[in-house]
Amino acid sequence: MKNQTALIVSSSLLFSQLAGATTVEFWTAQTQTDRMQTIELLASTFEALYDGVTVKVVPVDENEMATQMAAAVAAGTTPQLIEVNSEIIMAFGEEGIVNTKVHDSVVADIGKERFHKGALTTLTSPDDQYYGLPYHGWIQGIWYRKDWFDEKGLAAPNSWENIETAAKMLTDKSNNQYGILIGTKQDSYTEQVFTQLALSNNAAEFDSKGSLVFNSPATLETIEFYKKLSEYNPPGPQNWRARDYYLQGKMGMFFYSTYIMDDLALAEVAKGSLTSENFKELSGGTFDPDLVKNTAFAPIISHKSAASYGTLSGLVALKTSSMAQSDATKDFIEFMYDPASYITFLHMAPGGMNPMLKGIAEDPAYLDDPNGVFKLYGADKMKQIVSGFDDIRSFSVVEGMTFPESGEIFAKSVIPRMLYSVTIEDESPKKALDAAEQEMKAIVAQ
Amino acid sequence: MSSLLKKSEAKLGLKLVAPAVGIIALLVIYPIAFNVYLSFFDVQLNGQKTFVGFENYSNLLCNPRYYHSVGVSVVYLIGTVAGTTILGLAAAILMNQDFRLRNLARGLILLPYFAPVISVVFGWQFIFDPVNGIYNHMVVDVLGLTDTRDNLIGNPDSALFVVIVFDIWKHFPIAYLLFLAKLQSVPKDLYEAAAIDGQNAWGRFWHVTLPELRFVIATVVLLRVIWNLNRFEDVYLLAPNVETLPIFTYYQAFAGLVDQGIAAAISVIQLLVLVGLIWLYVRKVLKW
Repeated sequence: MKNQTALIVSSSLLFSQLAGATTVEFWTAQTQTDRMQTIELLASTFEALYDGVTVKVVPVDENEMATQMAAAVAAGTTPQLIEVNSEIIMAFGEEGIVNTKVHDSVVADIGKERFHKGALTTLTSPDDQYYGLPYHGWIQGIWYRKDWFDEKGLAAPNSWENIETAAKMLTDKSNNQYGILIGTKQDSYTEQVFTQLALSNNAAEFDSKGSLVFNSPATLETIEFYKKLSEYNPPGPQNWRARDYYLQGKMGMFFYSTYIMDDLALAEVAKGSLTSENFKELSGGTFDPDLVKNTAFAPIISHKSAASYGTLSGLVALKTSSMAQSDATKDFIEFMYDPASYITFLHMAPGGMNPMLKGIAEDPAYLDDPNGVFKLYGADKMKQIVSGFDDIRSFSVVEGMTFPESGEIFAKSVIPRMLYSVTIEDESPKKALDAAEQEMKAIVAQ
Repeated sequence: MSSLLKKSEAKLGLKLVAPAVGIIALLVIYPIAFNVYLSFFDVQLNGQKTFVGFENYSNLLCNPRYYHSVGVSVVYLIGTVAGTTILGLAAAILMNQDFRLRNLARGLILLPYFAPVISVVFGWQFIFDPVNGIYNHMVVDVLGLTDTRDNLIGNPDSALFVVIVFDIWKHFPIAYLLFLAKLQSVPKDLYEAAAIDGQNAWGRFWHVTLPELRFVIATVVLLRVIWNLNRFEDVYLLAPNVETLPIFTYYQAFAGLVDQGIAAAISVIQLLVLVGLIWLYVRKVLKW
């Protein structure tokens, strides 16, 4: 009996090794259990369609991606495919570990014109190689309490003056009320908020020739404005997690991506997020069902120019010595762009994950998400949100040219540390800016 | 014993320690040697190395943030080591007395040490949350001690203090455990003799308990210094803006793209400092 079991076990092991001759290891930044289940489901579907290919899905936190990758490359266990944000993609591209040939053939198969142009440009190297393929993206803007704004006669927060006035009017620290949320921790949220304000002031990291122009009067002015806004922030260093204060009715407006849409809309989602991160028993912890109705979105901020900011995540094939693996990876990527699987993926975060291929957003299947988020917001609001994608701006793309160094500056948190020292440690904006410029120079020189 | 026998015994001895030596060489000496080697290179993700000599070291030693983090580490070390030792000693002496439910109390004291770091860190963060936390709720709303809400964990001035208190709270049970074990083996007659000599409670502590515990205390301090010089997870999870040496290393080398050369250089320096400290301590304080 024992022998038989051993035989069965060993033969099934042998069989699975033979059958799974090609394995595509796929690292995804979607680490939440429910999203993992969806991705596993997509992977199994792919395995059923393509004989002899196994897709191994591995969740890796976005902040850990670079570290894990270094360990994997050093150990010779590089995954074949990853899904991660554009900054990290550009940095990996510069490190020479990306399999651009796979990307070329996917773009050729799908058709270059089907991708949103700006999105593809963001992932293109200066010498015209695709470091990654845009897969989904979000737009950032200010979400605000329309009812409070109306009550106080405030204008929508779409310019520096309007933002500052509203933040001031809505702050009442003695009653635990705060006007705005901007990032003051040393993490990426801080950089994202700052970038949108900086772009609206025509500040940049690089000019179109690629020289570093970060230390400019425009940047300095933005830092000073940022410091002013931080006075209306909840106490101490904050990041995106403080959006819970908005859901609790303790905050007037906050910078956030379109990912907040389902949090605002769905009682379950919002409650889940409140209980896991804060005490629900404390006052203000109950869910406000009218929040969607009372919330408005200002995606564009104008000062010297109008700026919308967003970022995208892409699929990246990594270098491998095996042709079979390379081909299987290409097949899997193309499977992921197939409308059926693509929409399944995007529906994991309705509003948060927006399509990078033209035509998907108008697909009736796409507009009919299982949670009914898109219905709640209405087609027009959705259109307004996705429209921001045609010309999202970032520090790394200047006049159609992409500067991957910007990704490395992002990865090293130079800007968040600069803003932390100004807003929390009371460093002078000029000194902090000079120090940040020095660090950027060192990174560019490498 | 004949010299032949001695020789063959020595051979056997060598054979017996060989596996241990081999394992140590593989798991300790090789990584250290490779680390020292890496510290002279600029290492790319795809494995390419460029020799840069002492550049990693000079970059590091010219960085004012490095010295700042050395300072933070020193304060952190002194605060946590002294705190856990004193609190552990006090708890051990208390728990060595006879009282009802002593066994239950002895067990409960160990709780913070057994609880997973991540869960207690979240607990502390909830407590000190500036907007919703119970600490601000008590201090501002209930007791009215102040009218400004403070972010104790986030504020860099108080964060170091919170991190030290957290470490003392979390790790004093291990000191307590070691002290209590030793206290139970101190002969009762020593205390009786001291009492006959006219020593009061303080005198008995000073002249009996402390000398008896000397080596345990020294061991606890040594272990705590080694652990806390390298302590990462508690500090990083609770207050990532407290830049002790390991946190600084992480930001320099592992945040974003990994800079293995710099990381190696930092850890080589840290290793040298630690080895120096331990040598000094063992020779001068423990007098082993």
